[in-house]
Amino acid sequence: MVCAGMLLLLVIVFVISSVVGAQKLSLSGALCALTGKASCSLSAEERAILFDIRLPRILLAGAVGTCLAAAGAAYQALLRNPLAEPYLLGVSNGAAVGTMVALVFFGAHEWGRPVMAFGGAIAATFLVYRLARGRAGASPERLILAGVIVTTFLSSAIVFITTVMDATRIRSFTFWLLGDLSGTTSSLLTVAFIAAAVGVIALVMNARALNLMMLGERDAFDLGVEIGRVRLIVFAAASLLVGASVASSGSVGYVGLVVPHLVRLSFGSDNRLVIPAAAIAGATFVIVADTLARTVIAPRELPVGAITALIGAPLFVYLLKRGTAAVV
Amino acid sequence: MLEAKNITIQYDARFAVQGVSLRVEPGKVISIVGPNGAGKSTLLRALNGNVKTTAGEVILDERLLRSHTRRAIAQRVAVVAQEADVRFPVTVFEFVLGGRYAGANLTAWGWESGRDIELAQNAIAETELAGFESRLMNELSGGERQRAVLARALATEAKIFLLDEPTANLDLAHQATMLRLIRSRCDKSDSAAVVVTHDVNLAAEFSNEVMLMKDGRSVAFGSPREILTEQLLKQVFGLQVLVDAHPVSGAPRVTPVHEMRSVPPA
Repeated sequence: MVCAGMLLLLVIVFVISSVVGAQKLSLSGALCALTGKASCSLSAEERAILFDIRLPRILLAGAVGTCLAAAGAAYQALLRNPLAEPYLLGVSNGAAVGTMVALVFFGAHEWGRPVMAFGGAIAATFLVYRLARGRAGASPERLILAGVIVTTFLSSAIVFITTVMDATRIRSFTFWLLGDLSGTTSSLLTVAFIAAAVGVIALVMNARALNLMMLGERDAFDLGVEIGRVRLIVFAAASLLVGASVASSGSVGYVGLVVPHLVRLSFGSDNRLVIPAAAIAGATFVIVADTLARTVIAPRELPVGAITALIGAPLFVYLLKRGTAAVV
Repeated sequence: MLEAKNITIQYDARFAVQGVSLRVEPGKVISIVGPNGAGKSTLLRALNGNVKTTAGEVILDERLLRSHTRRAIAQRVAVVAQEADVRFPVTVFEFVLGGRYAGANLTAWGWESGRDIELAQNAIAETELAGFESRLMNELSGGERQRAVLARALATEAKIFLLDEPTANLDLAHQATMLRLIRSRCDKSDSAAVVVTHDVNLAAEFSNEVMLMKDGRSVAFGSPREILTEQLLKQVFGLQVLVDAHPVSGAPRVTPVHEMRSVPPA
């Protein structure tokens, strides 16, 4: 029931965001065109705006939101840390470095970006995990510190790559790094959708094991979970999700923090519900954030990452102050 | 059903457990008693494969423990660890239902069946947590949480229980309830339990056999009456104790003799 309600909300948000923007479209015209009819009250120019510019962007926003929110929920459960999030862990930056290396060295290759982004994400994930893991497992504080270290290290790598790039591309890169959905291509959109589907399915299939790992690896082991295998699958799936989203839209921060928390507030902690619900709610959240990003100072645009960080950073501070033991 | 054959566990140069053998048989409760750092918990952990042995073998149902899958071991052996550290808003019911991980009959959508839910509810009732089902784990008291940990182990339907300090956070009444629960499971069905405990008197009351451990070695093994003697306890704990018979149960009763009085006599 609630999932159906969330899907309905997603559809409504989808339709609204397709009509608002620098160029407003009529709601009836857009609805008519979206349902596939040819004779609608839209001009040829308006049709082009809807189908060539707005729709791919909204679809990408949805896919990116799904990827990041599901990955966030998975990292939180696996690392037993309500503050874990792809952006804060440095995983997004890992994927960003991968993407940039692909752009600089194999710029012509369509698939280079997502593949390298996935590689970067998985490398950063393991690095943070190794750094944070102490004798008694990874404490929340230790994990966030490891994330900061990996993030700053990778940021300097990003700065290094940007300086060797030609100056004309730097501005668009800075924008992309903050999370930008405007540069989508059909192949990146396809990659993001496939990754979202594969990643979310893999996570949902391991959600029962994640429910136990969330309470401690030793307990999970005692109860029959093959913890090594589950950890590997979940890390790989989450890295795939983050890699695909970063390759197509840069580092959109805090989605993986905000969305799973809101979902847990209403659904509880069972990952069999949290992960699919976060996937749907994440899509809605990023579509709304991106609609704001391209309308608040239209015709100019903000990077979508600026909007999500504006919402996410205060929430992070609130959660940190409240203490991780009693986090929602 | 479960047997440790001459096992040794070594961390770097230190021997945590050295050449210990233990046989767990249906209907028996075995207590492992000894000072801090004697290797009791490590030995317990080795019995379900959570700690790897350096030498020796652990046998479950006539096969090497490591030749069983994780899931198969979890269906046979349940662990009651010291209190769980819960950082997410998990309800008592969800927590206990987690015990059904290995043995659940899942529905097509991946949810536990009515029988799994019934087993979890029974376990909650047995541990006197009825009414707590929808309370959050991190809002419970230490004792309530520990009972939830026991309930989760009972919900597994495993026949062998490994308990690590199960009574550490419990009040007097619940200590007895908890051990009576384990005791009656072992008496009624073909279950068995290994209990690591600091409470020598509880071990004397509830166990068939006691193992005294010191410095990773098994110092003595036998019935509580044979093992809980003034001489052996002094040897293991380095403390003068007085052992007499419990006035009601007749089991050995151990009273430490302190040389210093903390409260001056009136």
